Amino acid sequence: MPNENNDLKPVKSDDGNIDNIIVNVKNLNFYYGNYHLLKSINLYFKKNSVCTLLGPSGCGKSTFLRTLNRMNDYTEGAKLTGEVLIDGKNIYDKSVDVVELRRNIGMVFQNPNPFPKSIFENVAFGLKIHGIKNKDFIVERVEKCLKYAGLYDEVKDKLNKSALSLSGGQQQRLCIARAIATNPSILLMDEPTAYLDPVSTSIILDLINSFKKYYTIIVVSHNVQQSGRISDYSGFFLDGELIEFDESGNFFTRPKDKRTENFITSRY
Amino acid sequence: MEHQQFEPVFPIDKGYLKRKKIYNNLAFLFAIAAFLIGAFPVFHIIYKAFAIGYKYLNFNFISTLPTGFPIGAEGGILNAIIGDVYLVVIASVLAIPLGIGTGLYLSLFGKKRTNYFLRLLNELMIGIPSIVWGIVGFYIFSTNAGFGFHFGFSALAGGLTLGFIMTPIVALLTEQAVNQIPASYIEGALALGATKFQAAKSVILKAALGGIFIGILLGVMNIIGQTAPLLFTNYYNTGLPTGVTGPGGAVGDMAMLIFIYIHEPSRILHYKAEAASVVLLLFIFLLDLGLRLINYLVKKFIL
Repeated sequence: MPNENNDLKPVKSDDGNIDNIIVNVKNLNFYYGNYHLLKSINLYFKKNSVCTLLGPSGCGKSTFLRTLNRMNDYTEGAKLTGEVLIDGKNIYDKSVDVVELRRNIGMVFQNPNPFPKSIFENVAFGLKIHGIKNKDFIVERVEKCLKYAGLYDEVKDKLNKSALSLSGGQQQRLCIARAIATNPSILLMDEPTAYLDPVSTSIILDLINSFKKYYTIIVVSHNVQQSGRISDYSGFFLDGELIEFDESGNFFTRPKDKRTENFITSRY
Repeated sequence: MEHQQFEPVFPIDKGYLKRKKIYNNLAFLFAIAAFLIGAFPVFHIIYKAFAIGYKYLNFNFISTLPTGFPIGAEGGILNAIIGDVYLVVIASVLAIPLGIGTGLYLSLFGKKRTNYFLRLLNELMIGIPSIVWGIVGFYIFSTNAGFGFHFGFSALAGGLTLGFIMTPIVALLTEQAVNQIPASYIEGALALGATKFQAAKSVILKAALGGIFIGILLGVMNIIGQTAPLLFTNYYNTGLPTGVTGPGGAVGDMAMLIFIYIHEPSRILHYKAEAASVVLLLFIFLLDLGLRLINYLVKKFIL
């Protein structure tokens, strides 16, 4: 039974400490058939930070994101070498339970993908599949998550309506509420604003900013302005290689690599 | 500055522009003609069966057992209606879980290469002539020879054989229905930590329900019209069954009734066969409506 008191408590952050690293990727290679998709990636993410991974389409950034919660497990012909340590433990170790891993790592996809169920059921889904049966707890938790995703006021009168009746931006916020319902410590976001209008995009970016105190957030994006607005750390992927990874201040103002500079000044 | 063109102007065949309109009209005419030719037999069958059998179409016809000499000259076809219910229920009990399970396996769980062969096998099963299924059913269920079931000529043997025919149809339609669900539903559930079974149960089955219902519908419609498999496994009963196996376990069946009545040298039985055809058509029509209604209600109130 998951810990029901384990609520949205801010995790104490202590910058500069090596213990503060939550995700540590060591020499990660990813092959799809004969195609070498990710080439010896080494990087780490710090607790309670927002990191954006930039890069042109097809550079492997989404694939990289999906290696962090093992969503590539079901891709046939995929092969992976190297280590992904989350809280010091290699998630590709045989003893790791994928289900438990994914409870701890929420994911938001590029296309808003609410289930064809009611709004309430969408958020409650993550709780139910992890065996929580206490109805009052679920109701309370759904409400809290919807409030936290800034959606509650808009949907409080129609929680039993189909989630598909919501607008695209609302659907994406519902997906965020769904992802945080299981109380993960890491949130992966795969171009969460790619298909949204500017207003919805802005709301989601504000959400990401406010989420920092609870989660470590890793966002894949190809929008330089948006990344600059939300991120503490930024990385640049090109053709399956991690070209540069740095604090956002340095990354956007003084990129070390010419290719990064070309990208952030839109020369690709 | 002079306007620059991307490419020099290329000559356009004016005749082709005219011809392509003619082609379009021809294709349209062809489609209409194909539809009419295809639809004609259906309407003709309904008309003919109704025109010949109309005088027997009353409540008595569907509510009494056949009597008289030759048997069926008086009374109705209740034995066949009850028998069909037996057969469809038994076949469905076998085919629906097996078919849905197979379909889910093919679309969610199986590996590419195994799936290729399984899919081939499934299509082969759909293509097996029904008379062959009859022999298989006879061997496995009716006699002692196969696995020692020895159900005799009975509803159970017939129904299970029909279930074999229905299973690959349900499997194929389930697989296609699940494949049409956006991958994002499945990924969304998996990313929340659902197992594949949980994803299948709570998200995929519900989203694919309409397609699965169509699979069940096609399967039931298919087996309701089968005679060949029943020749060796159930044959026919002019009364009501006393059980589902052994002597007395055989049931009447609409398709078999039509087959047998048409063979009898009796004008009355010929008319009754036509009337039974109309009842069978109505039966299938109501089944179609019923399943669509269930599908609608389930989608509206349960999901």
